[in-house]
Amino acid sequence: MIGRRPTHRIIDVHAHLGPYSLFYIPEPDVATMVAVMDRTGTEVTVLSSNRAIQQDAHLGNSQSLAAVDAYPGRVAAYAVINPWQDPERELERLAADERFVGIKVHPSLHRYPVTGARYAAVWAFAESTGCPVLSHSEHQSPYDSPAMFQTVAERYPGSQVILGHAGITPAGVDEAIETASRYASLWLEVCGSQMTGPMIGSMVDQVGSGRVLFGSDFPFIDQRMSLGRVVCAPLTESQRQDVLSGNARKLFRWRPLPGERGVGQTNE
Amino acid sequence: MSDAVTSGWFDARVLTGAHPASLQPPTGRDAIAEHLDRFALSGALVGAMASWLHDPIGGNAEASAIAHNLADRGVLACWTALPATPGELDSLTALVDRAVDDGVAAFRIHPTSHGFSPGLLDELYAGLQVNRLPLCIDAAEISWPDLTAIATRYPELPVIVSNLGYRKLRELWAALDGHTNIYVDLVDFAAHQGVEWLAANGLVDRLLFATAFGLRDPGESVVRLAWSGLDDATVRLVGSGNADRLFGVRSTAGGRS
Repeated sequence: MIGRRPTHRIIDVHAHLGPYSLFYIPEPDVATMVAVMDRTGTEVTVLSSNRAIQQDAHLGNSQSLAAVDAYPGRVAAYAVINPWQDPERELERLAADERFVGIKVHPSLHRYPVTGARYAAVWAFAESTGCPVLSHSEHQSPYDSPAMFQTVAERYPGSQVILGHAGITPAGVDEAIETASRYASLWLEVCGSQMTGPMIGSMVDQVGSGRVLFGSDFPFIDQRMSLGRVVCAPLTESQRQDVLSGNARKLFRWRPLPGERGVGQTNE
Repeated sequence: MSDAVTSGWFDARVLTGAHPASLQPPTGRDAIAEHLDRFALSGALVGAMASWLHDPIGGNAEASAIAHNLADRGVLACWTALPATPGELDSLTALVDRAVDDGVAAFRIHPTSHGFSPGLLDELYAGLQVNRLPLCIDAAEISWPDLTAIATRYPELPVIVSNLGYRKLRELWAALDGHTNIYVDLVDFAAHQGVEWLAANGLVDRLLFATAFGLRDPGESVVRLAWSGLDDATVRLVGSGNADRLFGVRSTAGGRS
């Protein structure tokens, strides 16, 4: 039995904002997202707007910043870098604006391989600054299958890369685990329609509880779908708390998330 | 807000048996009993994985075996139907009669997986409507026009759509708005605020708690409902009230009248 009140501290590292053309999303606004977060015990959500990933990175990134301005203690923003839409300009914007805490890329949606030259500046920036990068990853995709991140990890070993969805399918999760097991710069994020608690348990068993992150994809998908799998997963409470928020606090050190300074940061 | 409201839910979809390509372990009597205990459930509607993925009619015995074994835990059987085909199934009317005698609480069809047109099952729909047995179907197994055609021709037949995903609200709304006998369960009902959206539009009496334990992670539906924006009374309605109305009226063996 589960109660009506959450009992964990949660940081959601994979979220969006706003409408999407392919299907209807009820209440995709940031105020509703924060209301959901209040019910689920989510302290902070790191988001990239759907407009940024789907159609216009620059305008969409502005929407993400507006959401941060509306809820600065609860929301942080990824800057979406679309390799076809002046990536250098958006990287300069990211560098100059402390409201951005990471980079989001979506190779499958933008139809450009994660190993391609148009992404080189992203990985170089991430390596030189410590800025985390969340990428979509999808089994058998010609753009971002989990194994393709091996190339990124070898070329840019200092870049911290989150494999969003951890490959999505059961076979993709196996591939993501195998790849992340070999490269300490790769992190696994747990949202996806086919994900289960036992699959998350496999990630923790094989990669360690220190590199698995909670994400939900909300409001693309309801946050509680992904959260329920983690809450009910076969993990120890220590492992569960690592996944739900502890690891995110460790990873987001370049620009610490609201609510608490990043692990390893000292008060000045 | 009371935590007690999250106990006593009825799981409107559980599967017994093994899935050939899932990391979810095979389920049987003990696993289903443990599932009931873990989430303090009042009962479940159990179908057989074999009826979906191996032997559609023969697999029904596996669902009934679980239901009879766990009858005191509120477990009911859901059988699978096919078009009557010589050598495979003699008569849909006879199948429904056998199901009623056995205490079966609902039927499920898999037109896409089993390779037939839903229009071949009129005899089944008529039999279910007469006996007040709901018809369950996965969204991927039928087109929306075929689904709504069944609901239109048999207005007293409850039709429960499962595995909706997060991309189908536009089509779901059109179906729900025009047919008071169409329902949806919580299995992979993944649209952001989808539960709250139904409630805001006065349709929460068409939503049933269900997990697809054996196929999907039950934590999805449990947390989705427990930490929803619904008030306690509405959570109870979705958790068990709507299922009581649809499944709880069986008075034959295996039922929870």
